[in-house]
Amino acid sequence: MKMKKLIAGALAMAMALSLVACGGGDKPTGSQGATPPATGSQSGSQTPSTPTENVADAITVWVYPVGGWGDEAKVKPLIDKFTADTGIKVSMEWLAYADGDDKVNSALTGGNAPDVIMEGPERLVANWGVNGHMVDLADMIDAEDRAEILPAALEAGTSADGKVYLYPMFNVAHCMAVNYTAVKEAGAEANIDLETRTWTVDQFDATVKALHDKFGGTVAAVYCAGQGGDQGTRELIRNRYGTKLTNADHTAYTWNTPEVINALTDLKNLPGIQFDASLQGGDEIAKFYQGVLKMAFCWNAAQQLDPNSAGTGEGKTLTGDEIVYMTFPTQPGKSPEEGSGVWGLGAFDTGDEARIAAAKQFIKYMCDSENCAQAGDISNFFSCRSKAEGVEIKSSNPLLVEYYGKMMPYMGEYYQITKGWAGARTEWWNMLQRVGAGDDIAATVAKYEANANAAATAG
Amino acid sequence: MANSQPKMSRALQRRENIAGYLFMLPSLFFFIGFVVAPMIICIGYGFTDANMNSKTASTTFVGLHNFITLWQDETFLLALKNTFMIVLVSVPAVCFFSLWVGSAIYHLKGPVLSAFRCIFYLPVVTGSVAVTVVWKWMYDNYTGILNYVLKGAGLIEENINFLGDERFALWCIILILFTTSVGQPIVLYVSALGNVDTTLIEAAQVDGANDIQVFWKVKWPQMMPTTLYILVITTINSFQCFALIQLLTQGGSGTNTVMYYIYFTAFKLTEQRGHFGYANAMGVVLAIFIGLLSAVQFKLAKEK
Repeated sequence: MKMKKLIAGALAMAMALSLVACGGGDKPTGSQGATPPATGSQSGSQTPSTPTENVADAITVWVYPVGGWGDEAKVKPLIDKFTADTGIKVSMEWLAYADGDDKVNSALTGGNAPDVIMEGPERLVANWGVNGHMVDLADMIDAEDRAEILPAALEAGTSADGKVYLYPMFNVAHCMAVNYTAVKEAGAEANIDLETRTWTVDQFDATVKALHDKFGGTVAAVYCAGQGGDQGTRELIRNRYGTKLTNADHTAYTWNTPEVINALTDLKNLPGIQFDASLQGGDEIAKFYQGVLKMAFCWNAAQQLDPNSAGTGEGKTLTGDEIVYMTFPTQPGKSPEEGSGVWGLGAFDTGDEARIAAAKQFIKYMCDSENCAQAGDISNFFSCRSKAEGVEIKSSNPLLVEYYGKMMPYMGEYYQITKGWAGARTEWWNMLQRVGAGDDIAATVAKYEANANAAATAG
Repeated sequence: MANSQPKMSRALQRRENIAGYLFMLPSLFFFIGFVVAPMIICIGYGFTDANMNSKTASTTFVGLHNFITLWQDETFLLALKNTFMIVLVSVPAVCFFSLWVGSAIYHLKGPVLSAFRCIFYLPVVTGSVAVTVVWKWMYDNYTGILNYVLKGAGLIEENINFLGDERFALWCIILILFTTSVGQPIVLYVSALGNVDTTLIEAAQVDGANDIQVFWKVKWPQMMPTTLYILVITTINSFQCFALIQLLTQGGSGTNTVMYYIYFTAFKLTEQRGHFGYANAMGVVLAIFIGLLSAVQFKLAKEK
């Protein structure tokens, strides 16, 4: 009987301990000497440094899959180096775009936000920053940094009241791509200028027609199943007749214009173009990579280097067809404006000074040190600064060098920081779905632009 | 001696009651913590403009504002319509199909019956994400097997965009929901049919009742508790259809449901002031609808 009681007592103790263990023990405490969380990103055999006083010895970093930063194997050596150099252990977590926002928002609501996050200004500045969740990093940027960082990127990372919520790391101009092998088979290669990579609307339409005549079915999809990769459809539509989707102050949405209505009408009536509500950007890339679609509107340097992140070779589809990146088509004589992609690091205001200090150390290490070049190389994009701590930052990859020369001059302004952006994106893809379903285009555009502005005002 | 007996019984009863409550305590703790308390919090938040950004926007009491706004919200009304459509189609279809299959297979012998049970129960035990991904492949606009078969059979000329065309998308969702919902009711009906009192069936047959009369007059009344359970569970599941929408259409192509809209408002539209309060108000309205429909089902089943 006594033995039974003993066993029962031991079991009860074990259960109680397991419950305690489950209760939020995976966050670093922030104070010196706290037990770090289990992480796969710790330094191996190297002897780590010790963090300076009042700096936490462990932080959590959440990363959206931005270019090569979505690949753990590529990122881990740099994180290990950081731990070895600073003694700060890093618990990395990779988010997916499908549910990353939900995780962050849940964490913010529950008071469990990570210390550092990597994403773009539309989230870090326009959403979490202006709503008081982020730390102002302005004290990390001195005059020398301001001279070295691309002004447009720094501007995108800064809120209207001058607070820096995103330390810019890398940027890229979003473009489109064509299956050049298919274009040649269709006899339309004359429309593709391999030297400039620019083309007119007429050349684009003629290429779509040639591909449609040759292969039938859908040549390219105006994908609108959700917000994923929506920069592609935005840039395709706004470049067609050359217009802006927001006002210059980024306070209102201005896409109810004849240019947008005409562009939508043209695309809707162009055989080979389908408004597809079953695809998002990622799905479109996959279909293009498989050779099903002959054009992709969701493209950039990282995709060109490693199409569909499949590791099957630079600039090639699954079947070995040649992929050529192009600007979005414009009217003759008009310069294209490619979608602007800026990414960087931000620190959440966890209320723990030691953790914030460690977070800033991490950001400094990645964005403003001799490691900056390596951090940029991992992304397969382009560093937002020309120099860091005296070290010149330049990509050595020939494809990236070429892409930089041909596409980056056309990078447009970063308008995704317009108030109510999350709601506006939803209105955008819903609008495309309605256009695809056959609703009156002018009325649909007016309705969804009004919705976007109403959401921005109500926010 | 005769007087001490009841006292002993009462003491024993008290001890048993205490032991009973102690055994209940752990689950009661979780029930209150994870069901009752969130429900109360949800109702409370429904009357506020609570939002994620409490640092810059404090929560204030807004009375019935959220509940009034709901009925002017075009998206919510469409989501409510879709939700009712799913319930009205899915619940009867699941009940009738599972009853039919249950009736057809319950008298089969061991291994054959087990095989059928496995076949119909497989989609239930398979992860909903895996099931949904497979369906997504089958529905694919470009390379899906359904388009391939339909085209091969000469039934269609152009591919159908099953998930991207609002004429088909909701029905595609209902079809998947149907396949993942019938497993449990079939197993329950097989079990209920096996438990029907055979003496009553034999008596009815001796009295000259035919198969249909035996089913409706003898078997059906004895299966009413099972039917009621299936109706209520299927109704609740249909009202709460979320994962399929999230994984397949994200509420687009005319497939938005109240559950998905709640999630979208709460976790996607975080820039919008009062988004938590509004989502909670939707949750309360949805709970009321589920409660009302379940009550009607209980009432009807009782009358039967």
